[in-house]
Amino acid sequence: MGSITLMHYLVLGALLFCCGLLTMVVKRNAVGILIGVELVLNAANVNLVAFGRYRGAGIDGQAAALFVIVLAAAEAAVAIAIFMNFYRHLTTVDVDRGDLLRG
Amino acid sequence: MTMFAPLAGIWMPSPQDLRLFGAELSLVAAIVALLVLSMLFGRSERLGAGVALAAAVAVIFFCRDAAGLVDTGARAALTPPGAASMLVADRFTVFFKLLLALFLATIIWLWMTGAAAGRTGGEVRPVPAGPEFFVLLLTSMLGMSLMVATPNLLVMMIAVETASLPSYMLAASDRRSRAGAEAALKYVLFGATTAAVMAYGLSLLFGLFGTLDLPAIAAAVSVKGMPALGWIAMAAFLVGVAFKISAVPLHFWCPDVFEGAPVEVATWLSVASKAAGLGLLLRIVAAFGGDVPATIALPLAWGVGLVAAATCTLGNLAALRQESVKRMLAYSSIAHAGYMMMAAAIPPAAAGDATVRPAMAAIVSYLFVYLLMNLGAFGVTAMVAWSQGSDRLAAFTGLGRRAPWLAVPMSICLFSLVGLPPLAGFAAKWWLLAALGQGADRHSWLWWLVFVAVINTAVSLYYYVRVIRQMFLADDERLERLAVPVGGLALANGCAVLLLLLGTVAFGLMRDRSLAYAACLARAAPESVVAAQDRLAWNGGPEGMVVNGADRP
Repeated sequence: MGSITLMHYLVLGALLFCCGLLTMVVKRNAVGILIGVELVLNAANVNLVAFGRYRGAGIDGQAAALFVIVLAAAEAAVAIAIFMNFYRHLTTVDVDRGDLLRG
Repeated sequence: MTMFAPLAGIWMPSPQDLRLFGAELSLVAAIVALLVLSMLFGRSERLGAGVALAAAVAVIFFCRDAAGLVDTGARAALTPPGAASMLVADRFTVFFKLLLALFLATIIWLWMTGAAAGRTGGEVRPVPAGPEFFVLLLTSMLGMSLMVATPNLLVMMIAVETASLPSYMLAASDRRSRAGAEAALKYVLFGATTAAVMAYGLSLLFGLFGTLDLPAIAAAVSVKGMPALGWIAMAAFLVGVAFKISAVPLHFWCPDVFEGAPVEVATWLSVASKAAGLGLLLRIVAAFGGDVPATIALPLAWGVGLVAAATCTLGNLAALRQESVKRMLAYSSIAHAGYMMMAAAIPPAAAGDATVRPAMAAIVSYLFVYLLMNLGAFGVTAMVAWSQGSDRLAAFTGLGRRAPWLAVPMSICLFSLVGLPPLAGFAAKWWLLAALGQGADRHSWLWWLVFVAVINTAVSLYYYVRVIRQMFLADDERLERLAVPVGGLALANGCAVLLLLLGTVAFGLMRDRSLAYAACLARAAPESVVAAQDRLAWNGGPEGMVVNGADRP
């Protein structure tokens, strides 16, 4: 077993990204899609922190990851509020039920 | 004062620098004031409108002030010594902030008209309730102002989110509306997805180039070339920008949101969101001009051109078969975003070259004219929808007799959207095509874009004229005259008169102002490029993605 290198983190990030993308495409439940979004955002975080550590750009990578964490939290708060509002009207968060607007 | 001693070494921006960003600061102040005042004096909508209007006036004041400061052509930035700039102020950003502030004021005007109509008329009229509406409106404007004012990828991403998150909530601001709830759901899911992809692209770009500063990345690329992964990362980052512009294939949210959201919100998003996205795209494209070799600048331009042509064509084709006028205008706004993106596709030439400037100036004037004609068209649609309870084409039947002072400005705005002389829409589109033709002297593939734009203009005539036909040629004697609020009449006719003036006597004025505002974008901040190159030399540059543990700092 060799030591853990940058490549390991990048592969982890890429895997997280693919899982997230798959979740966003496959899930029909709005909360499920949001979880996919969080996976992709965390893939970005893993990349940022790994690059920041191994490529020696000061703390830029870690600082950027902090911002992305805050963005993810803000986005989740807003998204869930909107899901609740949708739920009040349709008693479901299945995105396929949102078929009023189309064309 | 020993307790402040540790603060002595911290960099503080000079008051001169802060004056340049007075627009953003006054927006922040207004947002905080609105939250505090609504706690002190109760949830009054008038208070919200008043504070938001004051913020718009303050932004206009500070923009005029900043325009004077940057008028020498220099660009200033909030930059600690030795670091890359995070925010810049140049004439281009000043233009965008002015545009947004003027537009904000007219949106508040539209809202007040609607609120007054709702109180006196007594019809079913969704009034976005409470001061939160204005807090969200101002916050989205803050995000949009930052979007056009930064050369840093991370700040771009934060700005895009600052603009997007309030917009999602604005779409659902009428909580009784099921369509609004659905529109917001689609908007937030689409936006969150694209933002996540954008963040992933950003992380890869950071890894490849060791910096998030756009001029520094451009400098690195021009020295060492663009790796294949760099293109993928760049495309992923641009996904987030394309979402804001509603460029194909990321346009699906646009018609749904515009149809489901309250009409003030749809109007706001139709111009402001697209303008800010375009400003961001222009800054990215301009950064890859100058000294960046053609092997990198050209594929980027081709990509933008291809997306622009697709956006324009699909927007127009989808608009042909719409029965809801709001939805038709949504597709028309997609098509117009396509026209404007075409000018962004003109490859920036060497730094001293004059070709970029007409293209930038064309976009600047097109945006202003687009604001007026879209505002007029959406405003009239709002008046009709408020009094008829429907925005279907059928609701416009006989409007020429029932409300001539709505039908005439609506026709002027629609003809201007087509781009017929002597209206400002014609002048703006003509100038855009002229800029494309001028660029085609060096890159003959730009003629294809001109061709696509002209064909699309002809196609768009059909669906705009359909509304005009319904207003003047179809009539039903049983339909009564419309009672239209005076504020709405003033808004629609004001837009129409301005379109007529700008297309004819005031065209030269618009041209001069646009050229002045477009002047500074193409120039990259030299000091940040030098700093970034030093940093890159220290980092080892973009090559060698596979770095072993031996590289650990």
